[in-house]
Amino acid sequence: MDQWNDELSRLFASCKAAMPDPEASPNFMPELWRRVEGRRSILLRIKKLSQVFLAAAAALSIVFVTLLSVPAFTHPDGSGSYIEVLADAYPTETLASHGILPREAAEAKTK
Amino acid sequence: MLVDFEQIQKAKAGDDTAFNQVVIAYRKRILGTIARLIGRPEDVEDVAQEVFLRLYYSLDQLRTPEVFEPWLYRLTVNASYDYLRKQRRRNESRMSDLSEQQVMMADAAAGGKVSGEEHRRKQVKELVESLLGAVSEQDRILLTLKEVEGLSLKELEKIYSVNENALKVRLFRARQRVLNAFEATRASDKKPSGRKD
Repeated sequence: MDQWNDELSRLFASCKAAMPDPEASPNFMPELWRRVEGRRSILLRIKKLSQVFLAAAAALSIVFVTLLSVPAFTHPDGSGSYIEVLADAYPTETLASHGILPREAAEAKTK
Repeated sequence: MLVDFEQIQKAKAGDDTAFNQVVIAYRKRILGTIARLIGRPEDVEDVAQEVFLRLYYSLDQLRTPEVFEPWLYRLTVNASYDYLRKQRRRNESRMSDLSEQQVMMADAAAGGKVSGEEHRRKQVKELVESLLGAVSEQDRILLTLKEVEGLSLKELEKIYSVNENALKVRLFRARQRVLNAFEATRASDKKPSGRKD
């Protein structure tokens, strides 16, 4: 076992000598800078796209906030909220005449 | 360190000339390490460029110039690992297309072009390559860095950011697998070759 271990260690050690550090080709640096520039332009495009997306999202949210914050417009013909329409349709006198409200309470409300 | 800290600081700050000098200082060493890690000379430059490209875009995350070399080695390990994974997938599909005879003929043709010292080197490379095939890509890289590149456990600890004991266990297991493959190879070499007419 030890014999194989030593032989394996020797084999690994000889591997570095068998594969010395290669020299870079003359094209190495120009190609590297071409790749750097290529990646940079992709990153710039992604950045621009995300900025456009962000601006659009901000504009949309402003529009929604504006729409939600404008108070609901009530028409004099009664097209208000459900409660308002219901109150207009059933005034307290009518409720009193139907016996739903005591007559005194209805009179106090109308005063 | 092959460059001074100031140079690395300048490159980190976005100075392209300083970055160029850092690449020139380290490229031979990185090319050599990659060559031994991946075992395919034709793709070494491509992987090395990927390493320096990753370095260019991640240099601003480097905390101090003191950790530059382990950082560069980590990028080298990651790029080599990515390459080996892709290569394994590619080889699986490519080899399945070739018959055994075609593979043997291709090997014989490649072997016929070299001689002498070159032939011995080729044998060592091929043997190490086949032995490292017995372990995963991660273990292959770890083992190569330790056994072939001669990095110490302390250096490996910095590169992998893992404690020394975990590395020792992993290295021991990987070496055992390679050792078993080595024994099997040697045993089959010594076996008398079949029947004699």
